[in-house]
Amino acid sequence: MARRMITVQGIGKQYRLGGVRGIDPRDSLKSNIQAILRGRGKPFWAIRNIDLTVDEGEVFGVIGRNGAGKSTLLKVLSRITVPTEGRFTIEGKLSSLLEVGTGFHPDLSGRDNVYLNGTILGMRRAEVKAKFDEIVEFSGVAPFIDTPVKRYSSGQKVRLAFAVAAHLEPEVLIIDEVLAVGDMEFQRKSMGKMKDVASNGRTVIFVSHNMGAVNSLCHRCILLDQGGVEMTGPTTEVTKRYLDRGLTERVSRIDVSDHPHQRDDKAKLLYLRWVDQDHGTIDQVRVTERFGLEIVHEVRSSTIRPQPVLLLCNENGDQILSSTPGLDSTIRYEKGQHTTTVWIPADLLNVGTVYATVELVTWLPFQPHQRLDNIMSIPVLDDIGSPTFPITNQRLDGIVRPPLEWEVGR
Amino acid sequence: MRIDVDARRWQWLPDLREMIAYRDLFLVLAYRDLQVRYAQTVLGIVWALVQPMATLLVMTLVFGRAVGVDTDGLPYPLFAITGISAWTYFAFVMKESGGSLIASQEMVRKIYFPRLLVPMSKSAVGLTDLLVALLVMVALFFYYGIAPQERIILAALYLIGIVISALGVGIWISALTIRYRDLQHVVPFAIQIGLFITPVAYTARTVTERLPEWLQAVYFLNPMAGLIEGYRWCLIGVGDPGGWCWLSFASSLVLLLTSFIYFRSMERVVADLI
Repeated sequence: MARRMITVQGIGKQYRLGGVRGIDPRDSLKSNIQAILRGRGKPFWAIRNIDLTVDEGEVFGVIGRNGAGKSTLLKVLSRITVPTEGRFTIEGKLSSLLEVGTGFHPDLSGRDNVYLNGTILGMRRAEVKAKFDEIVEFSGVAPFIDTPVKRYSSGQKVRLAFAVAAHLEPEVLIIDEVLAVGDMEFQRKSMGKMKDVASNGRTVIFVSHNMGAVNSLCHRCILLDQGGVEMTGPTTEVTKRYLDRGLTERVSRIDVSDHPHQRDDKAKLLYLRWVDQDHGTIDQVRVTERFGLEIVHEVRSSTIRPQPVLLLCNENGDQILSSTPGLDSTIRYEKGQHTTTVWIPADLLNVGTVYATVELVTWLPFQPHQRLDNIMSIPVLDDIGSPTFPITNQRLDGIVRPPLEWEVGR
Repeated sequence: MRIDVDARRWQWLPDLREMIAYRDLFLVLAYRDLQVRYAQTVLGIVWALVQPMATLLVMTLVFGRAVGVDTDGLPYPLFAITGISAWTYFAFVMKESGGSLIASQEMVRKIYFPRLLVPMSKSAVGLTDLLVALLVMVALFFYYGIAPQERIILAALYLIGIVISALGVGIWISALTIRYRDLQHVVPFAIQIGLFITPVAYTARTVTERLPEWLQAVYFLNPMAGLIEGYRWCLIGVGDPGGWCWLSFASSLVLLLTSFIYFRSMERVVADLI
């Protein structure tokens, strides 16, 4: 039997809403005194009654919607914060990566930052020294290693930071959506590294919104919902439950203006709506129909030009496509409210439920403002008139189902 | 290595074994501060010399010439540099470690490490300034042709006491600032006042000789009072704190110990509050 590496028993973490209120001279003396006496806000449990065990060599996924408690669980397990109740044990050396490049100092050279970041991640100086050449080579920033990091491009910075992280040798590794940053090339590299770690028999806890990544990496998963355990089990079952349950309310127009998941308050998504050709609201679509997603967002600062970004996934979490309006249109997203509709062509998608992730991003300089994962879904139904209608009346394999041109030999 | 976390278990003191395991982080953090401190300045490390020299000049003019502080006949600059070297170190560590936890909040939110290393590393950073001030002092000894006292070796003990009290105050402030940011505004002010109520520019005797016994005790409860006085006494033989130095030693130890305990309790929630 495999060695048990992580045992979590009844973990709970309580926070208090709202911060400490200071004295405000604009208020009356009485209300100031009251505010100080009342003190801290109402308590709430970010997570509660979490039990789980992870064995050696297992890759364990943590999934759940925004605000389900994933980050809190990670923070507790990586010891950044202390649980309010319960206990857990981790056997062996632990490394946690909630971001890459923690502690990087812009004024220090790449070399000094490698040492700084490495020791923060729990390596000994001698260890960093022994791996230094390898790290630099892996990062591909060797010519600039003695240049201050503030002169690096953001891509170079991330690569150097990831190179350090990739050379950690923990027995237990906790990773939070580190993969969500960086370009495709970098994401591929980091996914490869994750697989390496796992196949070396080390234990990994992986938190992600990316069902494709979870499906291909994790053996088992836990699904969190409102701070509690919704389900623990084999990955395919849990991810299916997540996609089924997470969005069973098949709403066709939703108000997301109060959604808490924001990186800054410079721009914000307001409404999302599935529409047909004539901009009428729909809640399902046929494969032969062209349809769109109407995105209403608000820009609150005149210094940025945030564009919506759309990512479509299917119910297995496979990413179908992602799309942006293109750089030319950037100029039009000035301060104010904007309505954008992105059209998905007919005869492209396969049947099944399609999930939309919508993001707001300013490209230059790159700033992600908000990202709502799998926020909308719509069932795509078959149509007997479709050029690709399956003769056997079964679902065709594949992520997309465009009609292709077949030239049959003479 | 095994990690065992239990919400019901409470540890009072820092985990020494863990701190030792992370000792390299202590050094790397201190090294970072040194590197960053004079980055992109024209004068660079020379700044470490400018500061004590300027203070020395001002003090000599004000307390040496204008006020005419009694120094048992010793040249005032030599008298002042002893006090300045110790006080500058103390003020630096108090200020830097006091604000250190807030300054590294990005790190604290994203990864675990023994948090105590952050304020503690500042005690090493301040040593460079102390070293520079000591060099100035040596130069002044030669300049005036005065030999230091034979008990100069004891000055090291007082220096250790000064490190302890600086850390004690700094760690207390760093932990308190997490909950009460107000302290950030108090610290510069406290350092200013501290300079005047501590015998840096004058001997403790000037203040205490007219005070009743119990008020003298209050005066030496300020750990730096007895420590600076004793430190100077070891170097140039002016002003003897006598038995009061033990009170100052004791209060710095109590400060450090209680700061550990308070810091430990804040460490549990720092990532939630910061």
